Amino acid sequence: MNSEIAPSPATRSWREIPQPVKPRAMSSGGRWRLVMAGVRSLALVLFIAGCGWGVWLIVGALHEDPRRRPAEAKAVPMRPPELKTMRDGVLDHAWLARTLELPPRVSLLELDLDQLSARVLADQQVLTVAMRKIFPDRLEVQITERTPVARVHVAMGDTPRDLLVARDGVVFFGTGFDPLMVRSLPWLEGITLEQDGARFQPIPHMADVARILAEAQFSAPHLYHQWHSVSLARMELDREVEVTLKTGTKARFSAKGNIFVQLAHLDDIVERLGRNSGARARIDLTLGREVPVTLETASADPRSVPLIGGGVHASPLFPRSSSKTKREL
Amino acid sequence: MSSRTTYIGAVEIGTSKITVLVGEYTGRELAIIGHGECSSRGVIKGTVVDYKAASESTHSALEQAERDAGERIDGVFLAQTGGHLEGFYNEASVNVKASDNMIEPGDVRTVCDLAKSKELPSGRMVVHNIRRPFRVDGRLVPGNPENLVGQRLEVGYWTVHGQEQRLADNIHVIRGFNLEVRELVLASLASGHMITTPEERQHGVLAIDIGAGTTDYVLYRDGAPHTTGVVPVGGTHLTNDLSIGLRLTEGQAEKLKLRFGRADVRAKDRTQKVWLDGNFAIGDRQFPQMAIEQITSARAWELLEVVRRKLGSAFSPETCASGVVLSGGTAKLAGLADVAARVFGVPAHLGEAPTWVRENMRDPGYHTALGLLYYGVSSQAEKAGPARRGGGFLTGMKRLFAST
Repeated sequence: MNSEIAPSPATRSWREIPQPVKPRAMSSGGRWRLVMAGVRSLALVLFIAGCGWGVWLIVGALHEDPRRRPAEAKAVPMRPPELKTMRDGVLDHAWLARTLELPPRVSLLELDLDQLSARVLADQQVLTVAMRKIFPDRLEVQITERTPVARVHVAMGDTPRDLLVARDGVVFFGTGFDPLMVRSLPWLEGITLEQDGARFQPIPHMADVARILAEAQFSAPHLYHQWHSVSLARMELDREVEVTLKTGTKARFSAKGNIFVQLAHLDDIVERLGRNSGARARIDLTLGREVPVTLETASADPRSVPLIGGGVHASPLFPRSSSKTKREL
Repeated sequence: MSSRTTYIGAVEIGTSKITVLVGEYTGRELAIIGHGECSSRGVIKGTVVDYKAASESTHSALEQAERDAGERIDGVFLAQTGGHLEGFYNEASVNVKASDNMIEPGDVRTVCDLAKSKELPSGRMVVHNIRRPFRVDGRLVPGNPENLVGQRLEVGYWTVHGQEQRLADNIHVIRGFNLEVRELVLASLASGHMITTPEERQHGVLAIDIGAGTTDYVLYRDGAPHTTGVVPVGGTHLTNDLSIGLRLTEGQAEKLKLRFGRADVRAKDRTQKVWLDGNFAIGDRQFPQMAIEQITSARAWELLEVVRRKLGSAFSPETCASGVVLSGGTAKLAGLADVAARVFGVPAHLGEAPTWVRENMRDPGYHTALGLLYYGVSSQAEKAGPARRGGGFLTGMKRLFAST
């Protein structure tokens, strides 16, 4: 037993024998392996250095200052941007040039497409934009425009202006539209526009209004041309739209009901009213087959329509057999 | 060991031949994928005496093995033998520190450090520290004694040490091929692990590896190596004796030894003769068979007697119930197992590689190289911690050996 002895540091293991040997003590095979090991180490170092250099180049390219781009890249001036509008767009090259504000003799490499896209989309008339660089000198701009379905009169400061409203409720200035087409659009009433910076917030429920207007424009164009304004005052609560005709007659549509049937009723009533030499009336088309009509002129012939109630005339004017089909309209 | 695949070379620089095996080790499994062999030069009795010649033959075997494997070796397990290797036993004991007498890791560490701390003579270096089982209050504990209760913890180490210059020479031969030596493994431990089973080691077994220049032995008791040793006598001495006794060249003597040598004398007739070559060509001569057998048997007896004497009191038939297992090229000498049984007084047999070793690796001459891989990898795996998956290391090795 020697439990009293302290661990001796003098006990040496074979692992303390230094393993490196001089190349002259190596065989040719050993020297070859040594060289190959060196080559492999060097290749590894070069590979790591190459990877590092590549990363540095990529990072540098991501943060590159456009002013430091080579002169060759800047030497190719860009042609005027090529505009492609979807469907029947009205925006033209002049508008695009004004909007993009490209400096003269700018090269394609210097363009920041995100920034230019934002500049184009700042005009609310533009729904979507896609830009593509076609080297060496072409910029292709593809846009989709909003189509107006109504117009609205806005007092912007001291200057009143007429703005257009798209089917998604977006209000925009409207550039390049045919004035005749613009004048044919009905006015919107009964709404309050809320300003959001330089633009207005979209008008709610415009999709329903646009559906009524589109149905009228397609199915009964002679009626649509008589429409002066459309009021959205009852839209929020009752889902109802009140249309004022140029004759002063007001017709109330239900957005929930069948628009075509409501138009057919209106067509018939307006035709009858026309025979009464310009009588004005309030027509409620929201009740389905029952269509109360309230005449507002005293000169109207009370016999022309059945009377219901006291001083106000109201009558279901459409017996079942007399309803018109779309083809007849 | 990391989980990535490493290619390990097992190198045995023997007196007659140099053997290299390449193992593909995945961290869990080992497969032999390459083999190289070259006749040895510059090595006498397991010791490098001519650095250049030994390097050339070793590197040639390494190149051959790498070509055979198709892979580059990452590191080497190197077998150690030679007369310069010696061993001694040192033990230590400590009183368990904890008040409840429960053994803590600190107690185990302290007693192990104490048992290994014996100072070596100048110029000597430790090759192996082989731990024997712990004892707690005199009670044998085969495993880890942590958390057992006792007052006194004892442990002993069988320390194998060798001469620094000779160890360095062996390492530098490998380094001359620009390969790292990862582990030095005693040749007797390597072959012993290959030819004995855990049950035999538990019951006590003596494994003797008789090579060309040296005889390595290891005595197992209680499942662990108890005593190791090297006798610088081997098969070449039998050849030498024949050469001197019958006045032959070494080549002729070697031929006679392989064909007619025996560890015991079976020839009854003194006049019975054998031909040297047997082709009746010019120079072919006759020799008395009894003389050949007497010469080889005398040296074989002597060799085993030396081993018996060197083991001394460590060996007794009672503590070596599984007998003697022989391996190495010279172990193929006819009748050697019978002689060993008579010398040691226990059953003896020629060791065989486990059944999962493929056929061309089953020769006793490969036991050491195979054991090198097996012992070296398993000892490193033990250092790295327990295996994560079931099945065990040995199972994986068996499967892979069988499939290659």
